[in-house]
Amino acid sequence: MDRRTFLKGVAGAGSMAAMSGSLAMPALAQGAAKTLRFVPQANLANFDPIWGTQYVVRNASVLVWDTLYGLDAAGTPQRQMVESEEVSADGLTWTFKLRPGLKFHDGEKVLAKDVVASLTRWSARDPMGIMIKGIQKELTAVDDSTFKWVLAKPFPKMKLALGKTNAPIAFIMPERIAQTDPFKQITEYVGSGPTKFLKDQWVPGAKAVFERFADYQPRSEAASWLAGGKKMLVDRIEWVVMPDPATAAAALQNGEVDWWEQPLSDLVPLLKQNKNLNVDIGDPLGNVGSFRMNHIQPPFNNPKVRQAVLMALSQEDYMRALVGDDESLWKPLPGFFTPGTPLYTEVGGEVLKGPRKLDAAKKLLAESGYKGEPVVCVVAQDQPITKAQGDVTVDLLKKLGMNVDFVATDWGSVGSRRALKTPPTQGGWSMFHTWHAGSDCTNPAAYPAIRANGDKAWFGWPESPEVEKEVVSWFEAANLEEEKAAIGRLNKAAIENVTYAPTGFFLSYTAWNKKVTGVTQGPIPTFWGVAKSA
Amino acid sequence: MLGYILRRILSTIPVMAMVGLFVFSLLFVAPGDPAALIAGDQASPADIERIRESLGLNRPFLVQFGEWAWRTLHADLGTSIFTSLPVTQMIGQRVEPTLSLMALTLVFAIVVSVPMGVVAAWKVGTWVDRSIMTFAVFGFSVPVFVIGYMLAYVFALRLDWFPVQGYTPITDGLGPWISNLVLPALSLGCVYIALIARITRASMLEVLAQDYVRTAKAKGLGQRSVLFLHALKNAAVPIVTVIGIGIALLIGGAVVTESVFAIPGLGRLTVDAILRRDYPVIQGVVLLFSFIYVLVNLLIDILYTFLDPRIRY
Repeated sequence: MDRRTFLKGVAGAGSMAAMSGSLAMPALAQGAAKTLRFVPQANLANFDPIWGTQYVVRNASVLVWDTLYGLDAAGTPQRQMVESEEVSADGLTWTFKLRPGLKFHDGEKVLAKDVVASLTRWSARDPMGIMIKGIQKELTAVDDSTFKWVLAKPFPKMKLALGKTNAPIAFIMPERIAQTDPFKQITEYVGSGPTKFLKDQWVPGAKAVFERFADYQPRSEAASWLAGGKKMLVDRIEWVVMPDPATAAAALQNGEVDWWEQPLSDLVPLLKQNKNLNVDIGDPLGNVGSFRMNHIQPPFNNPKVRQAVLMALSQEDYMRALVGDDESLWKPLPGFFTPGTPLYTEVGGEVLKGPRKLDAAKKLLAESGYKGEPVVCVVAQDQPITKAQGDVTVDLLKKLGMNVDFVATDWGSVGSRRALKTPPTQGGWSMFHTWHAGSDCTNPAAYPAIRANGDKAWFGWPESPEVEKEVVSWFEAANLEEEKAAIGRLNKAAIENVTYAPTGFFLSYTAWNKKVTGVTQGPIPTFWGVAKSA
Repeated sequence: MLGYILRRILSTIPVMAMVGLFVFSLLFVAPGDPAALIAGDQASPADIERIRESLGLNRPFLVQFGEWAWRTLHADLGTSIFTSLPVTQMIGQRVEPTLSLMALTLVFAIVVSVPMGVVAAWKVGTWVDRSIMTFAVFGFSVPVFVIGYMLAYVFALRLDWFPVQGYTPITDGLGPWISNLVLPALSLGCVYIALIARITRASMLEVLAQDYVRTAKAKGLGQRSVLFLHALKNAAVPIVTVIGIGIALLIGGAVVTESVFAIPGLGRLTVDAILRRDYPVIQGVVLLFSFIYVLVNLLIDILYTFLDPRIRY
């Protein structure tokens, strides 16, 4: 019996108990209906959304800090803390006015100087922020509620930069906190968002507590992702960290927690059978699976070797290893951009379509001059997504006749090893596996994995002037049609360069008790509009 | 005696120093980079290097060790790389659940296992002995997490007697405190019961073969008096030794049990810290565990003198 089967058995037994009606009321005394207990995807181990860019930190941060703009369900940035903005005719000066009545959790008013300090810190870390900073002439507070950003050249995607969901998000903090070095962690968690973070009740690794901020003034528009009125209908939200999925499944079935952000796909069929629970896709933008090859070390410094691997890889194999037999949870991805979004394209992706061409790939590999150099495949075993992908890749490389050195390790070790540029046989690496949130892959704005600017690129250090040229084309595009054309060319160039290998697009579920209403789909679990009955 | 205790307490200092040096060296050479984990998956190598620099992780080993040792000597275990909270505060948040779990497990295990071992020795070769030894093999063989899941299924999901997960501080009431700990203590206690029961049986069998036991029986003492007053006391030294050694087993088992039952204790703190390479927290927790272990062994040594008056230090 393997671990997955065992987990299914235990959680399934709980499900049967619920169906047979033998499941009594929760053993633990439930809190008031105004307290929502939520099991997040990971432990909230730190809480500075600029210093640390993990998804779990970002997800908690949207409860505490507000943004100037918020992305809605259509992916369009909408005004959030901003009341109005004005762009000069030459596109060089942006003047923003803040909404009146905005307050921080310590009771102080949100002022333009707070925004300036926050944007200064954010623009030192965020890829789009760094781009803006590169052309910045001046960022100043005009008065208490007005600030302006003067640029040396136009930046049409300003509102997207200030409202995007990719970490680090441009959150607004009080000036005294925002003046912290962007490479050092803040220790005071004061925002102007819909809930306050109760630091004294925070037990990292176990619990984080958020309390409704009574002075928060939501916008009048309906809420949509990070845009619109963020109306809190519960008084208190407790994030309960549960490292064991079987325990989380049992706790959800037993009513000890109300909402589990990301159930293990193996347990989903059992949760779906429980009449007290709702189960649905959590984030329609899903995730893009990937492995990256080291472009500066043999054998993957040879484009033909990379192309041979791409020619042979079966995305179906990867996706089934990741999500099992649920066909609705995955899609093939002959490209790099998120399916279902405006810029999705398959241009140039033919090599990833249709029956896999193992013989042709072997032939291409032979033509490349590959002579059995070891392929050091570094695979984190403590992340189910990387482990599953790693197992499939090893099988693929062996079928191709490559000499695989499988290094089973943990995510922490992958994190340090992938930064090494030394040869694979001297502590370096040939390939590692990861995944990207689909919301990060909707365009090149905050998508470092797609960049191919050599030494400055993400791990693997791909270099392709064609890819980089089209990234610039997208930033400079004046309308959606031009953007689509640029992305088509970019996709084709990145496939030819094998900037990285996409292993498919996959979704995951979220599950919650039927006593909870208002749960919506999105790249970030949002708590505004969520209510809980007694 | 007092001099011995003082000498033993003082001897913990070099032991702790060795542990500190060993752990620090191990972490220094182990692969993994907290800066990369902090920066996140989208960070550039330059960002990671800046974070590493800000955390002081790129300084030479001796500088880092010296600074840590100096702070530790001043009862300052440093600050967590990830949470920016003092390590002492993080340990303080987690001590109560783990000590509660260990204490309850210890009490439960001793209360159950010692009589089991005595009875098994008394009824050696019978079905009673074989049943107890079969249970002991089961306790040794079945992993703690499997027992935990089984107990949670039966007693939490089916019967609804106890909660599935979590911990309630004792200050919130004895009932909720016990309620949260019963299943974890039972899970963790199984292997401990098996260990103590087997040692008790073996030790008792040896003692029961002694002349003075035969004499006690011959002078007409009841079975209970012979077993528990005469035999058990003389068989106690190895049993107490195993209970002491078993503390290490408990610490290891607590890591798994706390994960299965989502108890916010030191075991989970340790695992989280190791996976994140949160060096100050790892060092702090390991020092604490080694201190507890040394202290328990000292208590066991002192206990010997009460159990066997022939032992003198």
